Amino acid sequence: MASNNIANENTPGYSREVANLTTSPTVDEGPLTFGTGVEVQSVISLRDSVLDLRVNQETQQQGQLNAFIGGGQQIQELFNQTTGAGLQTPITAFFNSVSQLSITPSDPNARQAVLSAAQNLTTAFNQASGSLATLQQNTNLSVSQTVAQINSLTTQLAAVNGEVTANSAPGENVGSLVDQRQQLLNQLSNLVDISEINAGNGSLTVTTSSGAPLVVGEQSFALTSQPNATTGLQDVYSQGTDITPQISSGQLAGEIQLRDQEIPAIQNSLDTLAFDLATSVNTVQEAGTDLNGAAGGPLFVPPTAVSGTAATLAVAITNPSKIAASRDGLPGDNANANALLALQNQNIVAGQTPLNYYAGLVFKIGNDVSTALASQTTGSAALAQAENLQGGVSGVDINEEAANLVRYQNAYQASAEVSATIDTLLLYTITSFTP
Amino acid sequence: MSIRLNPDLLPSLLADIQLSLKNETTASEQLATGQAVNQLSDNPGAAASLVGNANQSSADDQYQQSDATLQGKFQVADATLGSVVTALNAAISLGTEGASGTVNAADRTAIAAQVQGLITQTLGLSNTTYQGAYLFSGTAVNTQPFVQNAATGAVTYAGNAGATTVAISNGDNVGANLPGSQLFQNAAGSVFGALQDLNTSLLSGTGIGAAVTELQTALTQVSTNRVFYDNGLSQLTSAGNYLNQDKLDLSTQVNSLVGADPVAAASNFSESQIEEQSLLAATSKVLSLPTLFTYLPA
Repeated sequence: MASNNIANENTPGYSREVANLTTSPTVDEGPLTFGTGVEVQSVISLRDSVLDLRVNQETQQQGQLNAFIGGGQQIQELFNQTTGAGLQTPITAFFNSVSQLSITPSDPNARQAVLSAAQNLTTAFNQASGSLATLQQNTNLSVSQTVAQINSLTTQLAAVNGEVTANSAPGENVGSLVDQRQQLLNQLSNLVDISEINAGNGSLTVTTSSGAPLVVGEQSFALTSQPNATTGLQDVYSQGTDITPQISSGQLAGEIQLRDQEIPAIQNSLDTLAFDLATSVNTVQEAGTDLNGAAGGPLFVPPTAVSGTAATLAVAITNPSKIAASRDGLPGDNANANALLALQNQNIVAGQTPLNYYAGLVFKIGNDVSTALASQTTGSAALAQAENLQGGVSGVDINEEAANLVRYQNAYQASAEVSATIDTLLLYTITSFTP
Repeated sequence: MSIRLNPDLLPSLLADIQLSLKNETTASEQLATGQAVNQLSDNPGAAASLVGNANQSSADDQYQQSDATLQGKFQVADATLGSVVTALNAAISLGTEGASGTVNAADRTAIAAQVQGLITQTLGLSNTTYQGAYLFSGTAVNTQPFVQNAATGAVTYAGNAGATTVAISNGDNVGANLPGSQLFQNAAGSVFGALQDLNTSLLSGTGIGAAVTELQTALTQVSTNRVFYDNGLSQLTSAGNYLNQDKLDLSTQVNSLVGADPVAAASNFSESQIEEQSLLAATSKVLSLPTLFTYLPA
């Protein structure tokens, strides 16, 4: 046993084993009672199921946070104001070009600069929205892959579960099988929230925390992913029921949170910003007159709905003379350019100025990642503590095993001496009676 | 009985080494970029404030550029009106000379020719352009504002009375032009009217004194309106000073929002390095620690 413990010192999930020694039944000889030695009642794998559960729970939280943070960090790179990335620069550049136009409203270069800045602005919106959509699709792919990993683990888990049940007769040692099962449960915890129910005979029933079955006895219940009819994104099903909203932790939950909540919320904010800004600019543009004295038309292709505006926003005109800087129809008038410029300080986007609204979005993105990172740090410490406690119970201590080896060796030597003494006595007795 | 400790120290040590490396990377990044905030999550509030700061700083740059353009325009307009004042003073001198009893009709005709030259000069000044746009045509900047009738010599205004304003800093606007009608054909004193009246009176020999008085009124009017550009230039200078100070303040604000404390960053870097080395040494010791087997007889 000591040698098995030593051999498995570095085996992941291994729990040290100890022999459950009991005194052998005594023998009565007349008025005397004699001991008959020792016997191994059973071999016990030392583990604390409460600690195992706690480790699995912390692992679930870490799995969720890691998945969310991985995507969140990619999002915050898109809007990293500290490196100049994001929409502040193109929004500011657009209004700056309008500011220059108001100084020289008839200057073709100033007009072309406004068109170029508007084009850059739409490109920035399109790219930000496109990058978010790509990240959402990648995360959607990860959801399917995670479901496949869960199914692979539950299949293995069901097989091991069956072996545990089959070998659970009294006196049999299922320690290594339970270790293996625990290791699979821990891997599964990293992927999805699970709940374990002891079903007797050593069997374990595993469900999601909302009750969707994953493993019952020797049978595993595969999760499936099917495209949502509205969004096209993969929903997670168990036995024909959509359980996507009920998945509450583990990597799968982090991916779903990122895909279904975080990215759509940011995408919606971008759409609102693009829609309100474009609509307000168009309204002012249409109130003015262009360089030829004609009524101004929209600068941006008028968005029809908020949703999707950031992805499709485009400049409607290519001729710089179509920019309506004037109100009186004359080329030197800048009244409409001034009105366009004033938009940057007006509450035109959901009750805020365009850049205040955008700053709020930047804060949300950073704060969501920051909060997740803080939880990850706290959870990581809690997981390390639980794993340490678990190691204290189940971990193999080489010194302890060495001491045990010496102790057992000494006991063996003593027993051998007793046997030799008995053998000598017996020989003496036999030879004494020999004629 | 004491609690059994986890005999495997390596996972904790490796996690600590990772943390130490992370701290080292953070300090190194802060030293390299000079910023304590390199990701939005480092300080979401500061990153959000940076949006407004960067916008204002960029807008200030634009205002400075716009103000330079405007300053050039105002200087040309002011210099042009200065030339008009000079021309009007010359015309007043000529009128005074023509009004004296020592000149005869031929002399007055000669003086009238000089006045005609001044009219032509002033007409040219009133049609001055800046960067391809007429300065004194109101908002009709592509239309020549003053045209002289070849037959009658009368000057008519083809521009409009449009006046524009532009923003020269955040929340501060300045008038960008005065229409030519207000400058050269003001009801309170018309420049062209006065010059033509002088020309006519010199040729006829009557009413020269009144024409000179008319010129003086026009001169006063031009000088009064010229103050518009002087004030504009003064306002632009003030705006320039404000913008310079604002950019300095914004730069300071950026530093306080996201700037790294180089001393603290260097100290953190050094501490992290020492910590990492200590952890590596400890890990090495743990890996080579003797066990009970080491001391047992073979």
